[in-house]
Amino acid sequence: MAILEMKQVKKTYGSGHKMVEALKETDFRADKGELIAVIGPSGSGKSTFLTIAGGLLSPTSGEIWINKQDLSGLNEKQRSKIRLKEIGFILQASNLVPFLTMENQLNLLDKVKKGNMARNERMQLFEDLGISDLRNKYPADLSGGERQRVAIAKAIYSNPSIILADEPTASLDSDRAYEVMELLKSETKNKNTTTIVVTHDIRLIHYCDKVYRMTDGVLVLDKE
Amino acid sequence: MFLAWNELKKNKLRFVLIIGVLMLVAYLVFFLSGLANGLASLNREAVDKWDASAIVLTEESDKSLLQSTMSIDEMDAIQAGETAVIGQINAIAQTGDKKANVSIFGIEKDEFIMPDIIEGEEFSAANEVVAADALKEEGFGLGDKLTLSSTDETLTIVGFTAEARFNAAPVLYGDLATFRRIKFGDAAEANGDQINGIIVRSNSLSNLAGNEELEVIESETFIENLPGYTEQSLTLNFMIYFLFIISSVIVAIFLYVLTVQKISMFGVMKAQGIPSGYLARSVIAQTFILAAVGVIVGFILTLLSGAFLPSAIPVAFDILTMIIYGFVLIVVAILGAVFSVLTIVKIDPLKAIGG
Ligand SMILES: Nc1ncnc2c1ncn2[C@@H]1O[C@H](COP(=O)(O)OP(=O)(O)OP(=O)(O)O)[C@@H](O)[C@H]1O
Ligand SMILES: [Mg+2]
Repeated sequence: MAILEMKQVKKTYGSGHKMVEALKETDFRADKGELIAVIGPSGSGKSTFLTIAGGLLSPTSGEIWINKQDLSGLNEKQRSKIRLKEIGFILQASNLVPFLTMENQLNLLDKVKKGNMARNERMQLFEDLGISDLRNKYPADLSGGERQRVAIAKAIYSNPSIILADEPTASLDSDRAYEVMELLKSETKNKNTTTIVVTHDIRLIHYCDKVYRMTDGVLVLDKE
Repeated sequence: MFLAWNELKKNKLRFVLIIGVLMLVAYLVFFLSGLANGLASLNREAVDKWDASAIVLTEESDKSLLQSTMSIDEMDAIQAGETAVIGQINAIAQTGDKKANVSIFGIEKDEFIMPDIIEGEEFSAANEVVAADALKEEGFGLGDKLTLSSTDETLTIVGFTAEARFNAAPVLYGDLATFRRIKFGDAAEANGDQINGIIVRSNSLSNLAGNEELEVIESETFIENLPGYTEQSLTLNFMIYFLFIISSVIVAIFLYVLTVQKISMFGVMKAQGIPSGYLARSVIAQTFILAAVGVIVGFILTLLSGAFLPSAIPVAFDILTMIIYGFVLIVVAILGAVFSVLTIVKIDPLKAIGG
């Protein structure tokens, strides 16, 4: 069943001779229970693709359907609601709030949304990510890898139907990177959700059900 | 509240500084209001003490008690619940090397403007007076013989009464005969029926005055027409209103700078789908906490420093006014936060996180 569908989606930045076609016309669909990798060189349009898929960026043309809702006609407020309910972002840049402890980063989500993980699930998540001891620390007091893992915990915590991860393992050593991929995979399978991971690291792609390759704004299926 | 409170906890120094600034503004507002109040009572204490509804003066005196002269017989024509006659003159009183500007009231002992005595006794013999306690603070005492600037008469202080200053001068209350001897000297006998005004207590002020040449002036109007009174209170109130505007601008600027610094953080939260409304409420809540703490600390500080102030500075804090001004300050600070709220609403999550 398609949870995310993109029809003829295109994105151009700028205009005139400065125009960049970051994403050429793309059709894409992701089903429940799928772990999908998007690989490709720097600047090829991976982040553009991912942010459009998550309703953060409006495409120049085309339609995006998330869980049977068409994003095209929605305003920012309505898209914000869909992001909160359906999407877990793990962004390339840090996406933690500097003045909240690790625990409070998740508590913040409890303030604005229902249906997040239960207490024991949350403990398990912290355990799995190896960040149980960091619960009362602030982002500034963590290493890059630790911060990344907290960001992952935050994305998974709200039980989203789609997890979108931009280079989630970039600042992790390979053992940790494998563990994170394992975790994303088991989340996807156990909860029957969908995860799309953008990565440079081709060693990680054997965890994935499908691998897409992005080259100069063109997305092609590489491996099924 | 969750975000607002956690941020306050984490960035204590930053917010303590903002609270400090708000506190100083509140302090200034409270202090000025105390000063305005103190200066006002300096002028009006004696009039408030009458607890009267109006005063009758001659039309041509232009609402000045000193300039008004009439015959005591005018009283018969006035239809009011209670009436009291008053004669008034200004003088410099001196005893030893102590000098003071005083206002002398000639009154009838059995009428309602006779002041309550807090020390000593009522005047009874010629040239005995009851003095405002302000004179006591300047070093005058019971039994002091006062020489006056404009006459050879000497007065004797036989009692004190509280809160009795008229147009900034402490009042000496004596009987009408004493007043006339000071005012007219040798001609006192010939002017035996002269007074300055008639003070009335009455429910209805219309058609009170039986005479075309007399004017009925409500107490508040009379006070506003005391020399310098309106100018003074307008000046101070303007300063207070400007302070309100200034504090709103200060808060707006502070919060705006803070908000701009946090744009990427707000972007991150918005990307996650946290509603702008939630973030905006958090900024408002934060402003409320900052302003409320600042105002309360300013309030306490004002009262503390008021207690240590020399009595020459005429501050008198009116708690009700201060509470109202405190509320206004908080509201005004929250208005200042509206700017930041607009900024937050406009943040594009994607641009903010530099994705
Ligand atoms: N806001 C923007 N304005 C103009 N051009 C942009 C903008 N964002 C991205 N681009 C351009 O679009 C193209 C795709 O960018 P994108 O960020 O999607 O690449 P990417 O594949 O994620 O690269 P990386 O692996 O380095 O993260 C690039 O050529 C980039 O310069
Ligand atoms: Mg990228």
